[in-house]
Amino acid sequence: MAVDDVTFSLQPGSITGFLGPNGAGKTTTLRLLVGLAKPTAGEAFVFGRRYQDLEHPMRRVGAVLESGDFDPGRSGRNHLRTLALATGTPYGRVEELLELVELQAAADRPVGTYSLGMRQRLGLAAALLGDPELLLLDEPANGLDPAGIHWLRGFLRQFAERGGTVLVSSHVLAELARTVDAALIIDRGRLVAMVGLDQLADATGSLEDLYLEITARDRA
Amino acid sequence: MRGQLRSELLKQRTTRTSFLLLLWMVGLVALAVLLHVFGFSAEELARDENQLKVLGLGASLGALFASLLGAMSITGEFRHGTIRPTLLATPRRTRVIAAKVAASALAGLAVGLLAGALTAGVEAAGLGARGIPIELSAGDYAQLLAGGAVAGALFAAIGVGVGAVVRNQVSAVVGLCVWLLFIEPLLFGDVPAAAKFAPGASAGAIAGAIQTQVASSLLAPALGVLLLVAYAAAATAAGSIATTRSDVN
Repeated sequence: MAVDDVTFSLQPGSITGFLGPNGAGKTTTLRLLVGLAKPTAGEAFVFGRRYQDLEHPMRRVGAVLESGDFDPGRSGRNHLRTLALATGTPYGRVEELLELVELQAAADRPVGTYSLGMRQRLGLAAALLGDPELLLLDEPANGLDPAGIHWLRGFLRQFAERGGTVLVSSHVLAELARTVDAALIIDRGRLVAMVGLDQLADATGSLEDLYLEITARDRA
Repeated sequence: MRGQLRSELLKQRTTRTSFLLLLWMVGLVALAVLLHVFGFSAEELARDENQLKVLGLGASLGALFASLLGAMSITGEFRHGTIRPTLLATPRRTRVIAAKVAASALAGLAVGLLAGALTAGVEAAGLGARGIPIELSAGDYAQLLAGGAVAGALFAAIGVGVGAVVRNQVSAVVGLCVWLLFIEPLLFGDVPAAAKFAPGASAGAIAGAIQTQVASSLLAPALGVLLLVAYAAAATAAGSIATTRSDVN
């Protein structure tokens, strides 16, 4: 079983790290939450309902699960437009988002010519189409250069400051340690710790120490 | 649902695959028709039955490429991963499949029409160049164009269904090609009584001919339409069930 009985709540206006070793069940949890995968037993709920039962799912949840989900021959603008049409979002919103993620100049180029950082930003733009309350990102910093990671950090901070909720998974702690306000730690399909804002601010130990201690304890 | 349909139509227009497929089809139709028109003797080509068989190439290739276009619309999403954003935008998966079927059917209609028109044009030009009188009637041409368009639309729906079940692009494309270009002609050689009920043969029945068969060995056009509608319904239902039941990784 990849994931079992995972429940957590997130604070609006905060960024929560979703941490765990490779194969711990982070990706599976996110896929279950947005209905891409079905649980073998039970249901996965977000905002109290299954994702597919939400009235306007993209207005509640924006998710980026892979960094390369594009047709390489399609332009960034057209990629966003196909999703805008499907969700009844006006094209004006597409232009707003292209500006927000700084892809205006490249919007008419095929995505195949984009750098990894540009693809990452295009994926974010797609997730933001419906101006969602909750943003779910799976390993968003994977493969990004320092400038890209810096941009992402600033972006997430801004999103949270405007009242949004962010859940961002990672197996690389260093990327996240300076970004998150709280952390969920998952190991072997079970949630093993929820670390709050105050605990992280504690000088008693870095997030890394805490993570290593908890996952080691769990294994013992 | 209208939004999903418009989204699928935009996807179709903005992927290179559509244009490449269309180019391949135009090239293949021209090549196949020219090979027939210049490869056979003047006496053979003077017979209206053989002229009709050449016309049938358009119906066969139109149906094939329409099915490939349909299959690409869903297997392309699995190949490039766009299926994830697509399903996040429209979590009701049957709605996604329905929109793909509708968009592909429209494109398939155009593909069938184009293949038919191109075949008719190239054949007429080739026969003219060889000084062979055309024995085909206006009715033959009308049936090829109208029937080819209907068969194209239905074969595109079959392609979406097959693609949704198989998911892998190469498997879907190879499967459709092998069935239409190899297995069905083989069946016609061995068990013609059963072969005329196959999907490709049904397309031929609607359009008046396929590459190796003329109307006399095929079903009545109306029966062909019914059969092909049934095949398309079965394929899209299977594709819809497969898409709904299986996880997307």
